[in-house]
Amino acid sequence: MTQTTPEPGVDTGVGSRRSRVGAAGKVRGQLRHVADRPHGGCAHVAVHRSTRPHARITSVDVSEAAALDGVEAVVTGAALYKVLGDRMFTGPAFSDQPPLAVDRVRYVGEPVVAVLARDVATAREAAELVYVEYEDLEPIYDVADALAERAFVHDALRPSVVFGDLRHLSGKTETNIAYEYNLKLGDPESAATQGTSVGFEFWAPPVHHVAIELPATIGWVDADRLELYSTTQTPSYVRQSVADMLGLPLSHVRIRVAPLGGSFGAKMYDRLEPLIAALAWLYRREVRMVASREEAFLLTTRHGAGVISSMSADADGNLTSATADVRYDTGAYADVGPRITAKSGMIAAGPYKIPNVAIRSRCIYTNKPSAGPFRGFGVPQVTWSHETLIDELARARGEDPAAFRRRNLLREGDESYMGTVMHSADFVGCLDAVTEAIGWDTPLDRGSGRWRRGRGVAVGIKAVLTPTVANAVLQLNQDGSATLMISTVDMGQGSDTIMPQIVAEVLSMDAERIRVVAVDTDVTPYDTITAGSRSTYHTGNAVRGVAERMRERLLDLAAKRAGGSSKDLKLTADGVLNTASGEVYRVSELIHEHFGARGATMTEEFNYTTSWQPYDKETGRSAKATEHWFAGAVAVQLLVDRWTGRARVEHLAVAGDVGRAINPALVEQQLAGSAIMGLGHALFDELVFDQGQMLNGTLLDYQLPSVKDLPGKLTPIIIESPHASGPFGAKGVGETGIIPIAPAVANAVRDAVGVRITRLPLSPERVLQAMDEAGVEK
Amino acid sequence: MKLIQLTVNGRRYDLPVDDDELLLDVLRDKIGAYSVREGCGVGACGACTVLVGGISVSSCLARAVRYDGAELTTADGLPEDDAVVTAFVESRAMQCGYCIPGFVLMAHELLAENPQPDREQIVAHLEGNICRCGTYQEICRAVEVAAERRERA
Ligand code: FES
Ligand code: FES
Repeated sequence: MTQTTPEPGVDTGVGSRRSRVGAAGKVRGQLRHVADRPHGGCAHVAVHRSTRPHARITSVDVSEAAALDGVEAVVTGAALYKVLGDRMFTGPAFSDQPPLAVDRVRYVGEPVVAVLARDVATAREAAELVYVEYEDLEPIYDVADALAERAFVHDALRPSVVFGDLRHLSGKTETNIAYEYNLKLGDPESAATQGTSVGFEFWAPPVHHVAIELPATIGWVDADRLELYSTTQTPSYVRQSVADMLGLPLSHVRIRVAPLGGSFGAKMYDRLEPLIAALAWLYRREVRMVASREEAFLLTTRHGAGVISSMSADADGNLTSATADVRYDTGAYADVGPRITAKSGMIAAGPYKIPNVAIRSRCIYTNKPSAGPFRGFGVPQVTWSHETLIDELARARGEDPAAFRRRNLLREGDESYMGTVMHSADFVGCLDAVTEAIGWDTPLDRGSGRWRRGRGVAVGIKAVLTPTVANAVLQLNQDGSATLMISTVDMGQGSDTIMPQIVAEVLSMDAERIRVVAVDTDVTPYDTITAGSRSTYHTGNAVRGVAERMRERLLDLAAKRAGGSSKDLKLTADGVLNTASGEVYRVSELIHEHFGARGATMTEEFNYTTSWQPYDKETGRSAKATEHWFAGAVAVQLLVDRWTGRARVEHLAVAGDVGRAINPALVEQQLAGSAIMGLGHALFDELVFDQGQMLNGTLLDYQLPSVKDLPGKLTPIIIESPHASGPFGAKGVGETGIIPIAPAVANAVRDAVGVRITRLPLSPERVLQAMDEAGVEK
Repeated sequence: MKLIQLTVNGRRYDLPVDDDELLLDVLRDKIGAYSVREGCGVGACGACTVLVGGISVSSCLARAVRYDGAELTTADGLPEDDAVVTAFVESRAMQCGYCIPGFVLMAHELLAENPQPDREQIVAHLEGNICRCGTYQEICRAVEVAAERRERA
């Protein structure tokens, strides 16, 4: 490797393209993941799963399974309930999900019985030997069934204790609507009667994260404490959830995490952890479960969502009104669906100035695997609606879709229809950058023969998760190196690389000398979650704060040494410089002198917490619904094969306003990577269900973007409009790129062959069918 | 149970294996070769790739008993100055990194048969491997860089 250690403090701070921490180890596969923990002597867990979408369990026969050689224990949901009672129902918004079904199953594939055995093969074999009898209940396959209210997935709603604002839903019966959010501004109905209006019904199907690393959880009891080693983005949440379930103090639950092999929202909240924690605790045994790919498909999905929506503009081309009725299919368990429903529903009319808006957004239970967070947090589904509407409205007016958007986009200082003001959200800058990149204003060769060429654009907006809490602890070692303790999980986004850059910038250090500790709730402080692109801003602010405290501390030590005031002292790459005397006090000397010990450490901590204003009960609006915004845009030029309906992307440009790029190389990778994932959602990704049964939950059947789906040209573009309170102006970027991809592609297909498709994905068959229906010549 | 002999990255192992034991599990559980990983279990992602005598094999589909006497290479066993590894590091061809060892071995196989592949040949050879982080652009570039390097060397 040619890499040399850079000059201290010179080029590893904020804005540097420093290479990823542990790059060579990643390439050689030497980075250790959770499943790599040696497992001699532990018990392996397999589960028997429901074959019914909705049924009462009438009997469970485990005798054959228990008799199998190598089986240690067979556990039913009823047995767990005897020990744990209602505490076994967990979830981030609603406490509605048991680790093993009790009395009733709610989706095909739900765990019913767990087996502990000496190896995986034996555990899986025994799980097959469990016999369950059911009495079927009326199944609710989709949102339409659910809203018909002939049957109910849950007898009563059970909001969790965590969220005060859901309390009023507690105990509500005869409903499949877990949560409903409404926004009202002005009078959209009468506004829509003038000018031009368009309206459609949209569908974005459920899809799956398929992080290549499989979910894994290992649990054991150490004296009187429970320890888990787990693939999770939410170690602090899991600690609380498991402590609540087992009735343990937080001090007696320890969660450790290794870097994740991707996650995208799949590995968060309660996945394998409650079951493994319960089994480890009850059997005082090291137990281990690595999900198979088929099981991982059942653990969580992205919400399928229907949107019925409209948009209107006046004769001058200004938007006058918008409506959206959003229905998120959350499956059998709410997970974080209620949060998605409000946070993403509230911006369902897009990043535009609109005086009259009505939004209704609902989180709806069905008898399917639970849907949870997925890169974009429900926003791509509503963006699919508003970016199609605005495109069609521009066309109806005979106006260029980019110019029409530009006129109506929210700008710095504008108050959005949902009540919060825009800051550091340069939609116009993103739109201009991507359209310029693909040559939007240059003449387009429309193609010939079977090929037709088109261009499309789309803009995206998303709110960051608010309120949240971040903490950082920084330990400066006597030799001048540093150890950073945060509970942000690096899952490929690069937090272990950029957080040291922030410290390096503040302390004029070389980031190579700063090590981020692997997340361990015994050591690393509370952090809400690693998700929703919140870490760069929130944890980044905690990291900047702790580094600033450390700088003050060093200056104090130097002042003592200099015999008085710190006014002439300045921290530099060489140490603290006394600008009056020209003396330099090396950090290692200052710490050594202070403690009188080599190897001593000096520690500081910092907390960063954001606040919000709850939605107004009448209007759904909030003056501060979010701490900050994400702004992005995508432009696409593509070819459609009129004979096969296949789209081939020639150029995709994706821009995101990141406030300030801490590491531009990593930001570009996030933008490009989310664009590729988004292309899958646009063109072929889809989980298919038939009567509640997932039909394509294996990688033989589920198509993912491969290297051959790479666009001819892929241009990630960084836009920087610094956030006033971001660390050095920075905000996150994990989701920005994926949000506008699908509508940009569909708008380009519309441009190429003249058909408007409102159901995702734009599979070749669907494009061909739309062309047939529209009578487009082939 | 049968005793088989595997040579992994130049080191010899005598291993008792069951008839239906997968090469993937033997490598991970008995030798600690954790750069070989499961992603799908059905031969559709490439995370479990190993080279057997230079030819790529999906170890999640391979029964270990059939590889008695074989010489295997895994990504963590490649030499210190390996051109492909170096090119991947320099091209930033990794995000989470989970899939990358599989791509590195596929690149080795490709360059051994075709030292100067064009972009289309690279894409065709890597098509069966999935990088969910979407690092394909950098991965293709890394293979091109490695090819250039090897030619100059
Ligand atoms: S695990 Fe073998 S190909 Fe995916
Ligand atoms: S780098 Fe994450 S899957 Fe490829």
